[in-house]
Formats: sequence, structure tokens, C-alpha cells
Amino acid sequence: MLDVKGLRKEFGELVAVRDLYFQLYPGDVFGFIGPNGAGKTTTIKMLATLLEPTAGTAALNGIDIVRHPEEVRPLLGYMPDFFGLYEGITVTEYLEFFAAAYRIPKSQRAAVIENVLELTDLTVKRDAYVETLSRGMQQRLCLAKCLVHDPLLLLLDEPASGLDPRARIEIKELIRELGAMGKIVLVSSHILPELADFCNKIGIIEKGELLVWGAVDDIVRQLQANRVLEIKPLGEIEPLIRRLEREAHVLSIEPQNGSLYVHFSGGLEEQADLLTALVRDGYRIATFREEPLDLEDVFMQITKGEVS
Amino acid sequence: MKRRAENPLLSYQLLVFTRNRWKRQPLLYGAVAVSVGLAYLLLFQLVLLGEPSVIAVWTTILTAMCILAPLFAYNLFSLEYEKQTWEALALTRLSAWDILWGKWGAALARIGFTLLLFSPMLAASSPDTLRPYPLLAGALVVLGWSVLLVSAGMWLSFKLKRTLPAASTLYAGQVLLLMLLPLLYYNLLGGKAPSPQLPTNYIEGVWWWGQSLAQMRWIVDLNPFATLARLEEVTRINQEVPDEAQGLFYLNWGFVQGVLYILIALLFAGLTYRGLKLAWRK
Repeated sequence: MLDVKGLRKEFGELVAVRDLYFQLYPGDVFGFIGPNGAGKTTTIKMLATLLEPTAGTAALNGIDIVRHPEEVRPLLGYMPDFFGLYEGITVTEYLEFFAAAYRIPKSQRAAVIENVLELTDLTVKRDAYVETLSRGMQQRLCLAKCLVHDPLLLLLDEPASGLDPRARIEIKELIRELGAMGKIVLVSSHILPELADFCNKIGIIEKGELLVWGAVDDIVRQLQANRVLEIKPLGEIEPLIRRLEREAHVLSIEPQNGSLYVHFSGGLEEQADLLTALVRDGYRIATFREEPLDLEDVFMQITKGEVS
Repeated sequence: MKRRAENPLLSYQLLVFTRNRWKRQPLLYGAVAVSVGLAYLLLFQLVLLGEPSVIAVWTTILTAMCILAPLFAYNLFSLEYEKQTWEALALTRLSAWDILWGKWGAALARIGFTLLLFSPMLAASSPDTLRPYPLLAGALVVLGWSVLLVSAGMWLSFKLKRTLPAASTLYAGQVLLLMLLPLLYYNLLGGKAPSPQLPTNYIEGVWWWGQSLAQMRWIVDLNPFATLARLEEVTRINQEVPDEAQGLFYLNWGFVQGVLYILIALLFAGLTYRGLKLAWRK
């Protein structure tokens, strides 16, 4: 379990990260969302034990990252947003080096490397020189390097940046698979559709402050106090608009392509009552559904577009 | 001890990482090869022309090491920063000592290999100059200066985080210490440069070194080229050591300088180790 407790980082007078609190469990894929300069990378570097927090701490499986960085490091894998690879060596040599550096016994190294090559789909490139790999493959190699010591926590800072669409999809699949393997994956991005597909939890950070965090569904539900209902009647829509304007929970109505998008302040009960009333009044309703909020809507509702 | 032998950074730094360097940096390594070749040619020419002393050989080797040793160290850490690989290395289970030894040890091994490469030249020097004192003192001076260059280069590359500034500082530093400062010393003091009598016993020797520091004579006395030049006075085996040169024995001339270079080298290695502990949180 990763337990982040009041993590804070100040650079002089600038507060880059403000007292973060969140918990993640094995299997969680946590999308860390925020605009550029919001404090994502600083937070990740603190969790990776590369940057000492000004205050607060975090514990990975009960081990304090501030007091015992050397004990935590074997439990985490970190892929920075800008990463480099040693050149002049092959993919296998690169992984062998890191396997040795993580003190994996010599007798187990070949099997471990075989596994991570397979997982990252790099088996066919095992003898290729690192510098000859495409950007997407280098990204996967970097991830493979993070996996050689089988870490519990993976910190991936903008893992899909600079990748072509195919490579993006591949890396997303890989992250999803890692979550399924029981790892805690913290993946940052400022591109929402990237995260929407495979995160079960998100945290939105702005100006160093974690505005909201939790399960994606829970956050969406919380933010759905103002729901949008799509109502598509059979026949003319003008009478229906006039009817809806009389309803107390209807805030506004936007006609679009034969449907009405109704901003509705009521809950599920009130929705059901509205539908019953409309049918009772003789309106023929072909579609009556709540518009689902996506991560972009959530993000736009919560953030103000500020950086620290 | 076992852990140190299994240091993957040492073996990779020494063998694997450098395997393709020849192909990638042909100009740099071509220049190195030409320098080594010229040093060889120079010595053999001296041998042919007539009986180079062991000190002349050591001086040639020292010249070569002044050029080569910085190349073994100036990018040891700066490349990690420039290629953004240091974070990955910092997060491994390698300790600060493992990382320091992996880098420093590889550079020291290259020093050793280069000195071995030059050893046939020592054997080719005039046999009647092979007095143990100048041979060993010369070795310590050359080895000490080379180790100092490597250690200072490693620290600079760690501290400056950029290869070019680290390399240029290292070479410029040598020019300053070996050429400009002695030139200034002689130029500014003119005919009044102190040249005290050599000591007649070890107590006087200690006093002499103290005066060297106080009178700024160290600028010349600790210069490795000046040190080797003076060792020439005690080189010939079939000649009596001149009386005025006997004092060099009481000064442990050459040994003092060599040990001092190594001590300063250890200081630079210590600073790098401390830097790793702090900056890489090791």
C-alpha cells in the first residue's frame, strides 16, 4: 500500500506541492492529472525518493520514503518524463546491467530478462542496440528496466508523451496489464483521454494542490449534482420545452439535433418523477437518459487552469 | 569484498559501455591514438639517438598522461546527467561506494592499462640509469599525477554536470598549474626566486618543505615535471650522485610529491562520494 501523508515541497517561496494525502492499493492504476507546472513531476520525484519533501512523507508497505529511501527503492520503479538510455549496448545487455544493479542473483537474471522482454513485447529486439530502437520501443525498454526487480509501485511520468498513436495504445495496454498483475501504478499525464481508459483512480492536481482524488466513478458521481439529461421526444419539441420549463429542477434546456439537453438539479428520484409526469401528460419519449460525465468534464469542472 | 568484485557498473563501465566508442567518436579516439603513437615514436627516437634516462621516459609518459588521464574521467558523471540516466542509476541497489568505485575504478584501471602500455619504453631506457630511487620516485610521481587528474576529472564531471566545462576546466587547470603559475613565479620574482640549500638530514628536510610552502616555492617544487627534472640529478648508476643532489634523498624528493598527489586525489574522490550521498540520496 502507498500511503501519502501531507507531502509538501517548497522551492524558496514557491510551494510546488501542497500537503498531499492519498492512499493506493495493489492493483490500483492511479491517473495523476494536472496542467503543466501543477506539481505532478515534483510529487513523483518525491515518491521516487529522488527529491526530499519539505514536509510530510509517504510510506510504501509501511516503509517511510523520507527516512529509509534505500529500503524503498527496491520496491519502486520510476520512469521519468525525459529519460535516457545507455548507448552502445544491446537491449539484453541493458537489462542485464540493471538486473545486476538491483542485485538479482545471476542464476535468475536470464529468466527475469526473458519475462520482461516478453511482457514489453521486445523479445524480437533483444540483440538490437538500444540507440537503434524507435522512441516507442525505447519507452518500452525503459519500462522493462523498471520491471526487472519486480517492484510493487510503478511511477510513470507522462509515459505516452512523444509517442505515435500505435505506441500510445501499446503502452496503455501494458499499463493496464501491470495493474492487473497487482502492482500500484501511478501514471501522470496532462492529456486526459490517455488516462480515461485504464485508470480506476484519479487525482487532479492544480497549483500544487490535490483538488480531488478517488475512484473515477465516485468522483464523477460527486460531480453529477448538476446532471445533464438527454430527452428525445417523438414529434415536436416546442411543447415539451414549455412543459419542462415549469419543472422546479430544470435549470436550463438546450435543443440539439431533435433532442433536448436538460441541466437538472434533482437526483435519481426526481428524474424518475419527471419521466413519469411527462408520460402521464401524453408526451411520447423515445430517449430519456443521463449524459455520462467523462474525465474531461470532471477536469474542467474542478480546475481553474492555474499553475503554481 | 565479494560485493565489490560483482560491481556491475565497474565491468560495464570498463568493457560494455565503451565497446562502441571507437565507432561513435572516431575523432576523439583517433587523436588519443595519435598521441600515444607520437609518445612511442618520441621515446624510440630518443633511444636511437642515444641513451634516454629513465627519467626522460617518465617525463614522456607524464606528458602523455596529462593528455590521456582527463579523457578517462571528464565525462564519468556528466554523461549520466546529460543523457538523463542518473536517476535510473541512483534508484538501483548500488550504494554510493559501488557507484563511485564503478566509475573511479574503471578510470583507474585505464590509467593502469596505459602505464602498462608504456612499460616497454621503461625497459628500453638506458640500463645504467635504472637506480631504484629515481625509478620508484618517478613511478610514484607519474602515477600520483594521473590518479589526481582522474579524481579531479570525476569530481568536476559530477559537480559541473556538463562534459565540456568539466573537460575544459581540467585541461585549463593543468595549463595553469604546470605552466602559467611557474612562469608567473619566475617572472614576478625575477632573480630573487629563493633557492635554498638542500638539507643534510631528514629534520632539515621537513623544515625545507615547510619553507617551500611559506615561500610559495611549492609552485615549482610540487610541479611533476620539475620534480622529474630534478630526479635526473640522482639517476646515473655509474656516476657518483653529486653532493648538492644528496639532499634530495633527505627530502624524499618525488615520493613526497607522489603521495601528496594521491592524497589530493583521495580528497576529490571523497568529495564525489559525499556528493553522491547527498545529491543522489544514497
